[in-house]
Amino acid sequence: MAREEIQSEVTGTVWKIEMEVGADVADGDTIMILESMKMEIPVISTEDGKLVELKVKEEEPVAEGQVVAVVETD
Amino acid sequence: MTDKKLLDEYETRRETALAMGGEKKLERRRNAGVMNARERIDYLFDAGSFLESGLFATSARPEDRDSSPGDGKLCGYGRIDGRDAVGVVNDFTVKGASSAATNMKKISQMQRTATERGLPLIFLGESSGARIPDNMGAFGMGNLLANNPAQYRRLRESPWAAAALGMCYGSSTWYTCLADFSVMRKGAVMAVSSERLVSMAIGEKIEGQALGGWKMHAETTGLVDQFVDTDEEAIDAIKTFLSYMPTHCNEAPPVQDVAAGSGDAAASVGDLVPDSRSQVYDMRKVIRAVVDTDSYFELKPRFGRTAVTALTRIDGKSVGFVANNPLFKAGAMDAQACDKIISFMVMCDSFNIPLVFFVDNPGFVIGIEAERQRAPGKIMNFMNALQLVTVPKLTVMIRKNYGQAYINMGGGKNADDVCAWVTAEVSFMDPAFAVNVVHGREGQRLEEEDPARFKAEFEKISLENSVWDLAACYAVQQVIKPEETRDWLRHMLQVHERRLSNGVGQHLLNNWPTSY
Repeated sequence: MAREEIQSEVTGTVWKIEMEVGADVADGDTIMILESMKMEIPVISTEDGKLVELKVKEEEPVAEGQVVAVVETD
Repeated sequence: MTDKKLLDEYETRRETALAMGGEKKLERRRNAGVMNARERIDYLFDAGSFLESGLFATSARPEDRDSSPGDGKLCGYGRIDGRDAVGVVNDFTVKGASSAATNMKKISQMQRTATERGLPLIFLGESSGARIPDNMGAFGMGNLLANNPAQYRRLRESPWAAAALGMCYGSSTWYTCLADFSVMRKGAVMAVSSERLVSMAIGEKIEGQALGGWKMHAETTGLVDQFVDTDEEAIDAIKTFLSYMPTHCNEAPPVQDVAAGSGDAAASVGDLVPDSRSQVYDMRKVIRAVVDTDSYFELKPRFGRTAVTALTRIDGKSVGFVANNPLFKAGAMDAQACDKIISFMVMCDSFNIPLVFFVDNPGFVIGIEAERQRAPGKIMNFMNALQLVTVPKLTVMIRKNYGQAYINMGGGKNADDVCAWVTAEVSFMDPAFAVNVVHGREGQRLEEEDPARFKAEFEKISLENSVWDLAACYAVQQVIKPEETRDWLRHMLQVHERRLSNGVGQHLLNNWPTSY
């Protein structure tokens, strides 16, 4: 078991949260979508595991490198 | 008749050499599910094709002679999928595969043969560094480590591939960084020196994975191209890599049979790209849809992800893809993406593999972090390398194509031929930003201040960015529908084949740094 922090790779605003805490997540899954540079930028899991924490809410601003979610891996 | 005593001695010595560092150490590896050096050799080379060089070599120190079979690094010649190759396989069970006088001679013999005779060179690495006491003191340094002026010299005469398969410090790290392709087994560590030495030197406990584990190299350094779970997968990756490569730089890459089903997905490739210009998609799927079935071989997938670099085949011929990936940062290239693209172009150019650029990006990443990462220098290295490439270059403009990145991705005359999907849009700046620069006030966004005016100006400025103006000024030679992409590539790769030099380029990048 390891907690992997998922970071935002851009500065922007949280537009839509796509997953709920507790959901199974696979490498490549979209956890949430940000709005940045006038584009819909997905935050994508880099791990297989379970989504255990969402650190932001919709419409909140996020900075590049900010931890927005935590995935627990097997 | 050969003297029986001599033949017996030959057999005894041979068995001793083949026993490596002894049963105890070999058993530990078996229990850990890790291959030993001779199993790796067997797995790498075609059955019965390996001829060992230096089976009876040992340490140069008399007191170590009996405990150093092969001197810890096994070398020789064999065939991989029917083609000749040279291998250096470290035996960690013998003195931690540390570098010392005899094995340095073995390696330089392999390197010289591979380079001068034009054969691929494979390193299966695992090493503890320079051997102590052999290399200690001024005498050790003067006689051993610094004694081969060609050891790190690379002009890419033949492809090198390396695997980091355990604790890699010293030589196995260096050779992995010098190689054209590298793969790491998860759990291995690749660093300048061991965590033990580092912890001692800085007085802080450092853990191996943090120092040089797979995540470090996959996401932060980009020094390794692929990551796998087992020794077998690592060696398979090297064989796959070599299947795209010529044996040396002065021949064209091999042509393979076209895999069944190739081209089936090409007709629906347009469906992979969303209609809305503010939505992203995964460019890797677009590439897979137009290349031969199962020929997609991506390098550095977790590093500089705004760009994709992948070896592929089209009509059985090796083709290198450089593409923006809108899935990450809308495809805006950052410093890491530039480094990744440059090293890929250098490799393809050195081994006569044509390059295809798939373009969809809003420009280079800008901002303080980008400047800190030396973006301007990287962008110009990218341009310089691109303009020194002499293999065929083709560009397909898929959607957005803005600013300097337009030129870096082969726009203008930076590719031999350029086509654009009907969806392509080109300008110096994304129209949404351009409207604000021209019509907005500082600190205000026109879309918020006066949405109606923004919309009108946006539409006006966007009209000038269409593909038809590009075609009118012959900046693109063809405008195509998405489903025509594979056929366009097949045809244009054929047109631009380097017939006058039998498919061989000028290799102006062959001494470009092997790392960044």
